[in-house]
Amino acid sequence: MLRIEHLTKVFPDGTVALKDVSFEVKDGEFLAIIGLSGSGKSTLLRCINRLIDPTEGRIVWDDKDITAASGRELREIRRNIGMIFQQFNLVKRSTVMTNVLSGRLGYAHPVWSLVHRFSPEDYELARAALERVGIADKADNRADQLSGGQQQRVGIARALMQEPKIMLADEPVASLDPVLAHSILQYLETLNREDGITVLCSLHFLDLVHRYATRVIGLKDGELVFEGLPSELTADRFKEVYGEEAEMVTVGGTMSA
Amino acid sequence: MTHDATPTPSPTPGRTSWLPPLVSLLLPGGGQALVGRYVRGAAILLAIVVMAALIIWLQGYALLAPLLGIWLWNSWDSYQLVRGRQPRLGVPILLGALIIYGLGTVATQVQPTRLVTGWSSMQPYLRALTKPELFTYPTEDQIGLVPIQVPCIEPLPEPARKPTEQPRLTVSVPCASVGDVVTIQGEGFFPEFEGELWWINPIGDPQRVLENGQQATFVTDAEGRFTAQVKVPLAVPVSEQPGPGETQTHLIRAEQHKPYGSPQPTETLSLVVDKIFETVALAFLATVLGVIFAVPVSFLAARNLMYGNPVTRMIYFVVRTILNIVRSIETLMWAIIFAVWVGLGPFGGMLALWLHTVAALGKLYSEAIEAIDPGPIEAVRATGASGPQVVVYAVIPQVLPTFASFTLFRWDINVRMSTVIGLVSDAGLGFLVIQWIRLNQFRAMATAIIAIMLVVSIIDYTSSKLRERILEGAPAARQVSPTRRLVTRAALVAAFALVFVWSWRLAEVRLSELVRGAPAGLRMARDFAIPNLIERPTEERSVSRPLPVPCGAAEVPSTSGTGAGVSLSLECGNVGDPLIITGHDLPPNQDVSVRWLLPDGAFLRVQSNCCRTDETGTVTVETRVHPLMELSEGMTEPGQVTIVWKETVGGPRFSEASRRVLELSIVTLLMALLATTLGSLFAIPLSFFAARNIMGKTVPGRVIFYGFRLFFNLFRSIEPMILVLICAAWVGAGPFAGVLALALNNIPNLGKLFSESIEDIDSGPVEAITATGANRLQTLVYAVVPQLVPRFLAFILYQWDINIRMSTVIGFVGGGGIGQQFRLWVGLNQYDKAGMAVWAIVIMVWSMDYLSARARERLI
Ligand SMILES: Nc1ncnc2c1ncn2[C@@H]1O[C@H](COP(=O)(O)OP(=O)(O)OP(=O)(O)O)[C@@H](O)[C@H]1O
Ligand SMILES: [Mg+2]
Repeated sequence: MLRIEHLTKVFPDGTVALKDVSFEVKDGEFLAIIGLSGSGKSTLLRCINRLIDPTEGRIVWDDKDITAASGRELREIRRNIGMIFQQFNLVKRSTVMTNVLSGRLGYAHPVWSLVHRFSPEDYELARAALERVGIADKADNRADQLSGGQQQRVGIARALMQEPKIMLADEPVASLDPVLAHSILQYLETLNREDGITVLCSLHFLDLVHRYATRVIGLKDGELVFEGLPSELTADRFKEVYGEEAEMVTVGGTMSA
Repeated sequence: MTHDATPTPSPTPGRTSWLPPLVSLLLPGGGQALVGRYVRGAAILLAIVVMAALIIWLQGYALLAPLLGIWLWNSWDSYQLVRGRQPRLGVPILLGALIIYGLGTVATQVQPTRLVTGWSSMQPYLRALTKPELFTYPTEDQIGLVPIQVPCIEPLPEPARKPTEQPRLTVSVPCASVGDVVTIQGEGFFPEFEGELWWINPIGDPQRVLENGQQATFVTDAEGRFTAQVKVPLAVPVSEQPGPGETQTHLIRAEQHKPYGSPQPTETLSLVVDKIFETVALAFLATVLGVIFAVPVSFLAARNLMYGNPVTRMIYFVVRTILNIVRSIETLMWAIIFAVWVGLGPFGGMLALWLHTVAALGKLYSEAIEAIDPGPIEAVRATGASGPQVVVYAVIPQVLPTFASFTLFRWDINVRMSTVIGLVSDAGLGFLVIQWIRLNQFRAMATAIIAIMLVVSIIDYTSSKLRERILEGAPAARQVSPTRRLVTRAALVAAFALVFVWSWRLAEVRLSELVRGAPAGLRMARDFAIPNLIERPTEERSVSRPLPVPCGAAEVPSTSGTGAGVSLSLECGNVGDPLIITGHDLPPNQDVSVRWLLPDGAFLRVQSNCCRTDETGTVTVETRVHPLMELSEGMTEPGQVTIVWKETVGGPRFSEASRRVLELSIVTLLMALLATTLGSLFAIPLSFFAARNIMGKTVPGRVIFYGFRLFFNLFRSIEPMILVLICAAWVGAGPFAGVLALALNNIPNLGKLFSESIEDIDSGPVEAITATGANRLQTLVYAVVPQLVPRFLAFILYQWDINIRMSTVIGFVGGGGIGQQFRLWVGLNQYDKAGMAVWAIVIMVWSMDYLSARARERLI
């Protein structure tokens, strides 16, 4: 169980990105985070694996205080939390294989890994991960030779290498077309259902929230303004989160399960 | 699993698997050829042969060990190929690099110890740089002179000069020999004040009296008296030394300069300021004229405009080729060439800058034209516009910003070049630098060098700011009244015209020189076009005849009558007697040299530019008996008159000069390679300290960051040619000095580029890798290094291209390589040889440009 307690983040320039946010995520949940651009979604996700240090508050995971961890302990926590990014954040000039293997760095030998040496098991794992996301044949391509959807799948494979218990996804589909959006979220759904990985995913489209999430939180100006089941997120509540002018936008119903 | 799969030849059955490795052992690459890998085999053979040849030529025999390693690896390689494996190339590449760098250090005479041993000779340069001559106080002077005769003779005549009365200087002895120490005493000088001692030779040239290698000084007591020791220097060249029984009057000078009043700019400073104007004027004129010529040329060199029909395509190729040739010869080299044509001076320097500008801009402009979007052209044409209208409305708006940016870039380069063009010509600041170095006036030199650094940094800064603005696009047009716009424009045009005229005058443009010097220029061009690649070996032959001067001073041996010979109109004679020298039965139509063979064994030409035999093999010279032919006491052998000519023996072979050019080309390449490598090796670690994002926001971090940035920028503004001068003083002239100077210039250049690329690393992957739980080192290796490698490589290749060009000219000022030889040959009017050096440079630059372009495609 992941518990966020009174989390506040003030950036050095004075921007208050999160204001006293508290909520809980149970193991195996698929939590969607919604909110306008600038509402603090990314900041929240980044606080959880400490890419950003929160100003106040605590994040507790299975009785471990993530906010207090540092050094080796922090790296071990990070190892157990996968993350995928809107801009994929692949090392574009490295091969797909190297990118995927880099997800294993938290486990790999600290010295050998510096000269790109990984154990045979790691290679096996990497191939399995690539197979799982359906791009095993691209292993030797340079990452920038892949399409956007393929790159995001490499990102997922990299996160899978960590054998994570939690997966953070920061707008994983915002750079992709609707068809790809569904296929990426389906991978996340499979991970969530079959492997029991807890997923925290920020999303912009209500229909995607309805389709994939098991629970939703809404942020507005850094404050928690909604928490509940997707079914409770009616058009009115949606407007509350997104402001009066907001329209319900859907991602065209091209995909079905 | 595609990851491991590599295309492999089918394994040959085991029975013959020993054969290819054995063949490879006997003939490198043979085994590879046996299994069908012909290219690999040929490459291995070629590499080994070339390296072996270089090792033997440079006598770096220790490098045969790694070569043996490659040889053995080659056998192992073919064994692996037979077994159907694809062996890796790491080991041979490493060994090959070892050999190449080893050869580089041998060929460029790298001697790190000289960095230490030569340090002291560089001291005056460094010390001077900290105190340039800027301002002085006007001085009140006290100057005392006293004569001294060197050497002592009996009886000693009256000295040719009188001592001064006030102040008074006396010397302990009236005469002395070179190396003696004499004591001088002075009185009536400024009390308790210091002064300098000088030695003035009989011709009136002053030189510093030295004391432990430093200027000797004295300090007066309260009454204005002092005593000092002076060692008598060798102040007269050997040829001017007094004969036996003669003496010469020298002067010792003691001088004091007491400042008063307010500081005045030194003469040095005002000279430097003058030359700053000249430097900028040269660059300005060359840029403006360059643009005027480059624009039309660029249209002829634009593929998309010229590819339409065969005639224009032909023109395109010719223009392109000429541009490429002109561009691959450095501006400084052009300056030397133009100096032959129009003489030393600003005009020749300006022409060199101009020509290189036309070629460089012509190419850049034509590329901008080639990159034009055809859409707007079609659209304008579709409206029914004429050709010129299309150009004005669709072409110019597209190319103008790029042209402007390239022009500014070139202006920047031209200013840099014109600061150093004076190193080979009498133009701009560089001339002052080299002049003052020759005179050992280091503080004046430092003033000029600092001026260069200033000019370069200011121009660099302003033009990069301007370029940014041009590329960002003009700010939104403000509402300006038409009259006001007209006035500003008129003012701009007027200012431009004024600067242009002013530059024209400072550059001493004299178009008539172009015509007047044309014959010399044409002769040079002709010789350049006909390189003397092949020559037939020659042997010197001579015939001679003794000529006793005066008559009776020596016996004349009798001469045998037949064959080639010299006959003289006199059997013997006195100095100044008219003499007719006739050579007969020599080879017909042959260049010969007629010489005096002096009694002391030296020889002199009877006439310069002489002579050639006629069809009958006869040559006649009228002259007078040379004074040095006279026999002095004790000499018995009479002088002779000799005719010397060269006779070809044996078949044609590559000329001495062509072999020299080949050798020096290799040395030059190795110099560039070594400099680039050294520069990169130092720049990579240093660049991290100059990267804002790495150094962080802490105070020490900031301080280090700004320190390194400042260091890079300051050091970058010292032109490599200037560094060569200083390095030549440090480690001695030669290729090592060149390598050192280039490397020292590359470190800040690359350091700056590297640190900038470190600063704009994409932070996304860094975050992503951090998020996997990787530690800092792992993050560096997996997220930072892969981003940096291609950028660094790109910059290193760029620097390599520059270094290749620079290394062809650093020899002009003591940096070794082919430039040194080129300058020497031009100085000796041996243009055919100089031409060969130029062609070698063109080929070298082209092939290296080609290679680095290929490398760029593959690596980046
Ligand atoms: N490094 C930073 N320094 C200062 N302010 C920041 C920084 N990063 C984010 N912010 C600010 O914090 C607020 C929350 O940003 P955050 O990136 O979390 O929003 P978001 O909900 O992810 O938006 P989007 O949907 O556009 O990605 C914004 O106002 C943003 O400008
Ligand atoms: Mg965001």
